[in-house]
Amino acid sequence: MFLEARGIIKAFGAFRAVDGADLDVTQGEIVGLIGPNGAGKSTFFNCLAGDAEPTAGTIRFLDRDVTNATPEVHARLGMARTFQVPVTFEDMTVVENVMVGAFLRHHHRAGAMRKAEEVLEFTGLSHLAGSPARSLGTPGRKRLEIARALATEPRLLLLDEALAGLTPAEVRLAIELVRRIKGLGITIVIVEHIMEVILSLAERAVVFHQGKVIAQGAPRAVVDDPAVIAAYLGHHMKRVRM
Amino acid sequence: MILLQVTVSGLLMGSVYALFSSGLTLIWGMMNVVNFAHGDFVMLAMYAAFFAFTLLKLGPIFFIPGAAAILFVLGVVVYLGLVRHVAKGPMLAQILGTFGLALVLRYAAFWAFTANFVSLPSNLAGGTFDFYGLRIEASRLLAGVLALVITTGMHLVLTRTALGSRLLAVAEDRNAAMLMGIRPDRMQAVAWGIGAASTGVAGALIALFFYVSPTVGESLSLIAFVVVCLGGFGSVPGALIAGLGIGVIQALSAYLIGAVYQDVIVYSLFLLVLWVRPQGLMGTN
Amino acid sequence: MKQWPLVLIGFLFIAAWPLLVDDVFLQRVGALVLLAAISASAWNLLGGYAGQVSVGHAVYFGAGAYASLVVYTELGWPPIAGAPVGVAVSLAIAALIGTPTFRLRGHYFSMATIAAAELFRILAANWPLLGAAVGLMGPPVPRTVADLSFLSPIPYHYLFLAVLVVLLTLTWKMQRSRMGYYLAAIRGGDRAARSLGVPVLRYKLYALLLSAGFTSIAGSLYAVMVGFIDPDSALGILISVKLLIIAALGGAGTLFGPLVGAMILIPLEETTNAMFGGGGTGITFIVYGAIILLVARFQPRGIAALWEAITTRRASRVP
Repeated sequence: MFLEARGIIKAFGAFRAVDGADLDVTQGEIVGLIGPNGAGKSTFFNCLAGDAEPTAGTIRFLDRDVTNATPEVHARLGMARTFQVPVTFEDMTVVENVMVGAFLRHHHRAGAMRKAEEVLEFTGLSHLAGSPARSLGTPGRKRLEIARALATEPRLLLLDEALAGLTPAEVRLAIELVRRIKGLGITIVIVEHIMEVILSLAERAVVFHQGKVIAQGAPRAVVDDPAVIAAYLGHHMKRVRM
Repeated sequence: MILLQVTVSGLLMGSVYALFSSGLTLIWGMMNVVNFAHGDFVMLAMYAAFFAFTLLKLGPIFFIPGAAAILFVLGVVVYLGLVRHVAKGPMLAQILGTFGLALVLRYAAFWAFTANFVSLPSNLAGGTFDFYGLRIEASRLLAGVLALVITTGMHLVLTRTALGSRLLAVAEDRNAAMLMGIRPDRMQAVAWGIGAASTGVAGALIALFFYVSPTVGESLSLIAFVVVCLGGFGSVPGALIAGLGIGVIQALSAYLIGAVYQDVIVYSLFLLVLWVRPQGLMGTN
Repeated sequence: MKQWPLVLIGFLFIAAWPLLVDDVFLQRVGALVLLAAISASAWNLLGGYAGQVSVGHAVYFGAGAYASLVVYTELGWPPIAGAPVGVAVSLAIAALIGTPTFRLRGHYFSMATIAAAELFRILAANWPLLGAAVGLMGPPVPRTVADLSFLSPIPYHYLFLAVLVVLLTLTWKMQRSRMGYYLAAIRGGDRAARSLGVPVLRYKLYALLLSAGFTSIAGSLYAVMVGFIDPDSALGILISVKLLIIAALGGAGTLFGPLVGAMILIPLEETTNAMFGGGGTGITFIVYGAIILLVARFQPRGIAALWEAITTRRASRVP
């Protein structure tokens, strides 16, 4: 199995943010994690990325146990992520931000630079390469995060609400970018609030509610699942389906 | 008996530590900015008390609230003129800003008042009590008890009053507080005022029984950091327990190992605790 | 680096300084500027490039200074021979303090460094081997040239300049290598850096070891030149603060920031000291305090940012 999480529990004191969740991801697919606010999908996501240690359960990536591995090890093994609120290296230029990622596989400056330029080209940021990263707005920062993650040459990309806060036009551009990333043979797990994104992008949706997976399958089918509708209290879903 | 004596005087001192550390913890908890000049605020209050008495012939009943008022104003001014601006900048700027302030205050005092140690007459608050062989100076007793009362009062204000809940709302979530019609800037200025006023009272109390010098603030700042880190930042009850604890540990180690090593013990303990629990002894994370 | 000609002119000026001025006081100021630049550049490796604001670098400065004079008082060696000993001690202390402290975030880290430094100062002030509160003296008269005890500041000037050039060259190389990028990423945010595969703790430790080693060398050079140290002048908290102020004024995390900061602050300090005599220390620190207060308030990224704003067109906001 490409990525396999079994019985993940993450407790904060008595509260279980994730309460026995399982997930299987096969190579090459796009999986969407959805659920109402506070459903535990972000915490689960952080466990996958090695940013939070699960209280119980196991995570295997490419047949290696990575349950307690650090984020650095995840990156080296080929798992990259973005953050919900982009963390831009403010003092650096755009290309330098991406070079930090590229240095993982290219130890010399020239090689890292080449890789970074290639990624900037792919993500459509080439024209901003020399600009200070702090001059970017939110859409630019989100795209830069994806570029930085791609520069680590991952096999699995974890996107944490990479499209939240974008205008509809920007969302379309981002969806197109994610499709092209998949075209590179990179597997993608995406946490997303916007149903529309999951419906048009994901091949499989996994629904979280109260720390548990309550449904999964083709996005269209999942959306019609009564348990899912109940979890979302209906209204949000219905509006999307109309 | 001697150990009891030492412990009691440690508790009385610790209660004053708790008082000014509560001010630091309030500021820190409110806006995640550390005041490196906190101990120097205490030093200023000590001088305020000293000059109020020697120049204006004012007794403790006047100079304790007086020092609190002066320091309250200073706290608000420092917030509006400096902290409000550096809080937005990089962390280095925050450290530089209040550290710069500390240097200015410390060496301005050095320049204005000279490096000589001065002190108030030791019988200002009365003589020495004798409880079944336990000897306690009235000035220390007054300082300790009053500090305890005011620290507790501060906690009550924070937890039981409208002002307190508005302060905590800003500490919790600035934006949400703004939506509720609270002006975060004003609340933070108030927090700096209260935080500095706590050093005002504490300084006036310490001046009752301790010598005053320009550099006394340096070690008091460090003690406040230790107390806040151990007590968990933002927590007044935490500061109270940690302050009392540090007072006792200091007094006991001064008695058992020697006065020069009392701070070695305190700092070692501090480092040890930070290494074992990076979020502080009572902090939750 | 489009400013190479300017840098070259600057260094030529610094190299020629003691020959341009005939006055021993001014020559001495020149040497002290370079010494301060070495110390602050060393601090800058950790505090500037890696963004870990240490307020306890006096420990490493003191280790170097004390090692130099202890090898003289105990073994009769020339003080400079203590430099490697100081570096070894500093590296050991750095590894000991650094490994646990780097888990601390932000202000906690700064406070831990202050507490650790104060701890060492109190211990040194009570340790007879280190001269306790009185301190230590170097050779009163030079025995051989190896004692590096000169009346003129000029030999010190060139010795310090050589060390500074080595340090800045190394820093420049570091800045352009993987390590430079990784430190900048760590400064930008631990969590994001780790997600990109940056071994954060290891790189912080590398930066600290480099920084501590060079700060220690600066301490040794100070002891060699001044020939007398005590707990306050070698280990006091004001030493730590000075390094930080000098670097921050010029621009923390920039190659020449610390040198520029030293070129402003040290002449100022020496002038006030000369004007007000012994009592000048107070005035000096009022001025120091006021300067960093104003820098923090109005120009938090130091003179370097000002320079950047002047030389490059402000990049407009882009999507």
